[in-house]
Amino acid sequence: MPTLDSMDRRGFLKTGLLVAGCLVLPISLRNADAQETSDGTAPGGMLEITDWIRIGPDGTTVLGLSQAEVGQGVWTGLPQVLADEMDADWNRVRVEFVTDRDAYRTAAAHEKLQQFVGGSTSVTMFYLRLRIAGAQARLAFLQAAAGRWGVAASECHTQRGQVLHAGSQRSLSYAELITEAARIPLEPNPPLKSNAQQNLVNHWLPKLDTPQKCNGSALFGIDVKVPGMLYGTIRTAPTLDGRPLKVNNQDTISERPGVHAVVMTKDVVIVVADSFWIAKQASEALNVEWDLGDTSISSAAIDAEVQAALDAKDSPLALRQGDPQKVFEKASKVIQADYHVPYIVHAPMEPVNATVHVRQGEVEVWGPIQGQDLVRWTLGGMFKVSAEKVIVNTTFLGGSFGRKYVPDFVVHAAVASAAVGKPVKVIRTREDDLRHGFYRPNVSGRLKAVLDKDGNIAALHARLAGQSLYYQIKRANFDSNGGWDETMVDGIYNAAYQLPNLQVESTNVNQNIPVSFMRSVGSTGSVFMYESFISELADTVGVEQAEFRRRMLQHDPISLNVIDRTLKRANWTSPAADGLFRGFAFSMYVGRADAYRSYAAVVAEVRIQPNGRFKVERLVCGVDCGRPINQNLISSMVEGSMGFALTNTFKSKITFDGGAVVQGNFPDYRLLFLREMPQVEVEIIDSERPPQGLGEITMPPVAPAVAQALYRATKIRLRSLPLPGTLAEAQAYAKAQSGT
Amino acid sequence: MVTFELNGKPYSFDGDAMTPLLWAIREGAGLTGSKFGCGVGACGACTVHLNGEAVRSCIIAVGNVADMKVTTIEGLSDDLGHPLQKAWIAEDVPQCGYCQSGMIMSAAALLSQIPAPSDEQIDEYMTNLCRCATYQRIRKAIHTAAKN
Repeated sequence: MPTLDSMDRRGFLKTGLLVAGCLVLPISLRNADAQETSDGTAPGGMLEITDWIRIGPDGTTVLGLSQAEVGQGVWTGLPQVLADEMDADWNRVRVEFVTDRDAYRTAAAHEKLQQFVGGSTSVTMFYLRLRIAGAQARLAFLQAAAGRWGVAASECHTQRGQVLHAGSQRSLSYAELITEAARIPLEPNPPLKSNAQQNLVNHWLPKLDTPQKCNGSALFGIDVKVPGMLYGTIRTAPTLDGRPLKVNNQDTISERPGVHAVVMTKDVVIVVADSFWIAKQASEALNVEWDLGDTSISSAAIDAEVQAALDAKDSPLALRQGDPQKVFEKASKVIQADYHVPYIVHAPMEPVNATVHVRQGEVEVWGPIQGQDLVRWTLGGMFKVSAEKVIVNTTFLGGSFGRKYVPDFVVHAAVASAAVGKPVKVIRTREDDLRHGFYRPNVSGRLKAVLDKDGNIAALHARLAGQSLYYQIKRANFDSNGGWDETMVDGIYNAAYQLPNLQVESTNVNQNIPVSFMRSVGSTGSVFMYESFISELADTVGVEQAEFRRRMLQHDPISLNVIDRTLKRANWTSPAADGLFRGFAFSMYVGRADAYRSYAAVVAEVRIQPNGRFKVERLVCGVDCGRPINQNLISSMVEGSMGFALTNTFKSKITFDGGAVVQGNFPDYRLLFLREMPQVEVEIIDSERPPQGLGEITMPPVAPAVAQALYRATKIRLRSLPLPGTLAEAQAYAKAQSGT
Repeated sequence: MVTFELNGKPYSFDGDAMTPLLWAIREGAGLTGSKFGCGVGACGACTVHLNGEAVRSCIIAVGNVADMKVTTIEGLSDDLGHPLQKAWIAEDVPQCGYCQSGMIMSAAALLSQIPAPSDEQIDEYMTNLCRCATYQRIRKAIHTAAKN
């Protein structure tokens, strides 16, 4: 019975990831032998011109995609950048997932160079790299045609997969030129198109993966079929921290028809069978003795610890500007409010799963993988093979939101495969997905401010406390900061607002709970607090919400423009329709290690329905994410992000009791229904900045904009997420607050 | 052994009759368009038609569908020809795409009952979950399909 020594759920993301910052931009100049596909064959006579482009004799243009498609649209957006620069025929483009070359790797925030999706960085990281690759290819085709015709390359031009020579009215397709073009050395610094010359970028184009997602043919990890494959599922401990000690009925269960193996690992017991259903039935019938581990984890205890941290005399300091202490000491009036945000979890529609085949000297993986190299390193270490001997086949991801970067589910499938010597697909149930996940941590905040005689903020003090993400997974970053976690105070310590006196504090209230990145990371908590508090201050001095913020943004034309365009789109200066109440919020989102800056403003319109339920009727979101690549993708992403954020706002809450997660499936970890989706309008700024991050950046302003609108509707300050869904619940919340 | 009609052809499942229809379709018949999302009938990713009605196949034992007609997304049309598939493409609905088979099958059952549903009728009928929250385009696509 193999055990799994490399499995430490709390250590998954911290092993070996932190190295000195690596800022290499891997641009391929082509290996001498790289003119065919990576495995040395050239299927269908395809020839490769760079790491990214292969062309077949029939003109089919295969564009490589290194970034996993999780619904964010990279399947279309990144090939669009490449195709534009190489002047490919967009109608003949086919996208294929590519892996395991340096050209596909990036270094995020001082981590090792690796192929991964995360932090909304795909477009920012690959925009220039793909343009260079496209321009290199285009130049090679120009030179190949010029050579064939015996004319100067400067006399030729390219258009939709062809090179043309205007002087002689001759043309050759890229397919006709690929053999010669593939032999021409790539120019390291090819000329790039101007914005005006781009004919695919900055256009509303349909998504290339839509048709296969409308007839069930798109291949997700859970759909993978490999010859000889078996199915498995896991039996998890009743507690987060539990571990199996012994399976009492191992023999009985192993002898069940269709069951191939019962495998105990360090954290779970895996059943391998002829089908998922047989595996699941067998797994439920296992009689396991557990070491329950830490059974003291409870939400009540965590909340008390967080409250104590807010009340404590001191906290680690994240930022001090000016002399806030002096202002607070002299102030006759201090405005103060406490806010709370719970633990939440990703819950992608496709539960985590993977198919793995462990063979002699190599391991092959198929699945919804967000971090290809992390899988290689993890399995390479487990099976003592080099990372190159771990073959990773990436499928579409049925949602992820950060979850599928952590390869715990791949490890389970690998252990199962090693045990039976066959490929095994291990699928986790929804209950195990929710109860044994990696959570977005809780956070509470105490915000204090002093207003000056003109109604501006004279000093602001924000103390946030909760479980630190970085303390668990990026300890070196946490320590080198001086013991505070930048993700906890995101959007506060690095806000766009200019304040004369500002102090930001962040206390780690550590817990024995596995945490990880989840869409928008800490900012869904911190920006809810900061923007809600700013709204309260504006109301205190009676200044209109947007104007109050504008006064702190006079130095920042990008922020002002996003705010103004959003308000205009929302008709902010005209009164809302009868029974509708409005709120507004804004945030600048700074990518990790300042990878990008994107800006979002949200106007929310809410109504109290006759039955007392709150209904968000309309959300207007303005966004500056740099030069738009594809307005359809941006719009789609922003529409969805509004819904995702409303789930966070009104529903999501993971609680703990007796060391276990209480919520087990969608009936008690609810997601937004279609009937709760508001009308969403997206205002996209035609920015001239290079493309910036988008996937996470529009979520933070949603909850504070909605809370402010609900304040207008109810006169109740709702300072705790998830927000109540009805007037009665809001009144009960207000009563409980006034009682404490 | 349970025999039923799957996308117009007879299909026999020779496993445990208590196996949920979803797994008989996915692993038995090898049609993976219908998805597993929750196993308790809450999310609708597994929605198929049973004698023309939308059902959540993860909570129906395959033994209970003997001799009945089961239609999955693969059987809805050839070549994306169903009005809802055309509308889904026109409105460019999917993001991750995982829930969309179930969404389209639910919407198809809705349109067969109510050819031109109002927003309120869509609200009431469409209880499938989409974590990417593509709901705005789903609503639009249903209206678009209803018009055609």
